[in-house]
Amino acid sequence: MKLALAILKKDMEIEFRSKESIISMWIFSLLIFVIFNFTFETSRLLMLQIAPGLLWVSFIFSGMLGLNRAFLLEKENGNLKSMALMPVDSGVIYVGKFLSTTLFMLIFEILILPFFIVFYDIPLSAVMMYLPLILLVGSIGFTSLGTILSAISVHTRDNQILLSLLLWPLITPIIIWVVKITGDVIEGELSSSFFPILIRITLFDIIFLTISYLLFEFVLQD
Amino acid sequence: MNKKVFFKAVIILLGILMLADIYMALVWVPPIKVESLTERIAQRIFYFHVPSAWLGFLAFFFVFLGSIMYLWKKVRKYELLSAASAEIGVLFITIVLITGPIWAKPVWGVWWTWDTRLTSSLVLWLIYVAYIFLRRSLPDGKKRANLSSVVGIIGFFDVPIVYFSIRWWETQHPQAVMANGSGGMSGVMLGTFLFSLFVFTLFFSVLLTLRYKQISLEDKMNKLYKELEQ
Repeated sequence: MKLALAILKKDMEIEFRSKESIISMWIFSLLIFVIFNFTFETSRLLMLQIAPGLLWVSFIFSGMLGLNRAFLLEKENGNLKSMALMPVDSGVIYVGKFLSTTLFMLIFEILILPFFIVFYDIPLSAVMMYLPLILLVGSIGFTSLGTILSAISVHTRDNQILLSLLLWPLITPIIIWVVKITGDVIEGELSSSFFPILIRITLFDIIFLTISYLLFEFVLQD
Repeated sequence: MNKKVFFKAVIILLGILMLADIYMALVWVPPIKVESLTERIAQRIFYFHVPSAWLGFLAFFFVFLGSIMYLWKKVRKYELLSAASAEIGVLFITIVLITGPIWAKPVWGVWWTWDTRLTSSLVLWLIYVAYIFLRRSLPDGKKRANLSSVVGIIGFFDVPIVYFSIRWWETQHPQAVMANGSGGMSGVMLGTFLFSLFVFTLFFSVLLTLRYKQISLEDKMNKLYKELEQ
């Protein structure tokens, strides 16, 4: 666990020196909001209906920028080889990288959220307090698989496109669930399926965190 | 030598059986009892559609098994089996995704709807296409075997979750006829279906064997090249 936290700390230090990832993710999301506004020029009522989808599309597209970079630096600096040689359980390295990608994702989401609310005039209601929880479990779903697949695709020639090809079909359940319950929160009324879906997302997170933790050893192996 | 002759005989037999299957499914078997003529004609695609779907799933199960076996035993042939199986699986799911809309257009009036089975078949197809892409963009070697096996395992666990996640929309897709007893299928129809399933399974086995052999030869050739270079 100490090692995982050390990796997290290292990644945070690198990021906060340049703030490159988070800023590029943030600008990219802003661009998506602008472009969506023109491609779906529509009434406010309809906009509210597509808003949850729009929010998550922007999270996922921008999140890809962060994920793509997650192992790029490690590979360029030859860290992947040294990680494989470390006399520790490789799963711990996965946990460290997972923590850092998830934390980036959450910081970026918190930074972009106010702009989403202002641009699309999202009504603020009492159930909005569930939104952070949705962001947390949804982002973990995205990064749990995203982290291990990023470590895989970094070895390929066209790593960026390949990461999307691998990750997106696998996270369709997360996208479906998360958009549905974000819609509940935006509408200001929780439907009866809200909590069951929240539990499903959490289960998804647990399943793929465990599988990735167990399989990460083989990703580092030569 | 004997093996070769046997394999050729199987291929010839397969050709004959496939012609017989086409005749049985399209001409010989009586149509289902529904009013509309188009529906009666369209239903015949069922004899090709369903076996392809089953074998597609089976292929992806082989990918999973091969991946696990490779990571466990580190024997190269398991990884090659996964690779061959993924390609054949994608081929069969492609057949499913093509025959489905051909049936749906006259019966449902649309080529495609975002229904559970349709959507999850498409996502399944995308997952294994990505698997093939991954394998092709990695340099040959142990690294490739390790990485693609990991994806082969993750993909397999994901598929049932994808299916489950789309399920809250009511499905339009006809229920699994085999599951609920006779399900309106007469004995002759059931017989034709089983025959078709048998023929498709044979087709699947022949393709898988051929592709596996091809990939193994490719692998051997690459090894020889490397030795020559050194």
